[in-house]
Amino acid sequence: MKLGIVGKGGVGKTTVSALISQTYAQRGKRVLAIDTDSNPNLAFSLGLSAQAADDVPLIPRALVVGAGDGAMTPADLLRDYGAPTPSEVILLHAMRVTQAGAG
Amino acid sequence: MRSILGAAIEEEADVTLVDMEAGLEHLSRSGGTLAYADVLLVVMEPSRKSILTAGRTIVLAAELGIPRVYGVGNKANLPEDQEFFETVSAEYNVPLAGIIPEDPDVVEADRSGVPLPPGRGQPVRRAIEEIIAFVEEAVVPA
Repeated sequence: MKLGIVGKGGVGKTTVSALISQTYAQRGKRVLAIDTDSNPNLAFSLGLSAQAADDVPLIPRALVVGAGDGAMTPADLLRDYGAPTPSEVILLHAMRVTQAGAG
Repeated sequence: MRSILGAAIEEEADVTLVDMEAGLEHLSRSGGTLAYADVLLVVMEPSRKSILTAGRTIVLAAELGIPRVYGVGNKANLPEDQEFFETVSAEYNVPLAGIIPEDPDVVEADRSGVPLPPGRGQPVRRAIEEIIAFVEEAVVPA
């Protein structure tokens, strides 16, 4: 299931996103949390340090919208771009506004 | 065409949550991988403006083909904000998935940029459980 969370800045969207994803993870579900913010904060609410948050790579646009070159599998994508967090939720950074605007 | 990220979401995860900070309009250019959701939750605070914005988002989401869109009332001072959310959401055609109470533990965690500590914020955690139950019910009707 894919669950989108939207809302203006300051309404508590990131906290709600973190708590929903952590609750699913506690139930033993495999959970991906994708932050699309150009100034991503979800990492902190999922328990990453500032350094670890900075180190989460941005998924290249080609992998967000394209099928890749055939060499990369979905599992490879998670291994290369996913950041494990203390609650077992895998965090991804994708599609910041500047990137999206270029499309 | 399914992208690599789309395949990862379908094959490698049971639940994928997309924090759509970039906004629906921007994400709709990503070929659907990030803009489409089975369920979209619009987080609101207890203000008329916030709920009005949610109503507009719901119209846009419907145009993008997202089938289930609900509001979530956050930072609610209970009990009076419960009634506020219910009344004003009805006015702007925002179906509610749930209401989350204002909680000092959440405010503090947010301020410090850390997760809500285990065992803290129990009323908020209960509200989150109820929202998840609502979402599950919406996706797979009983």
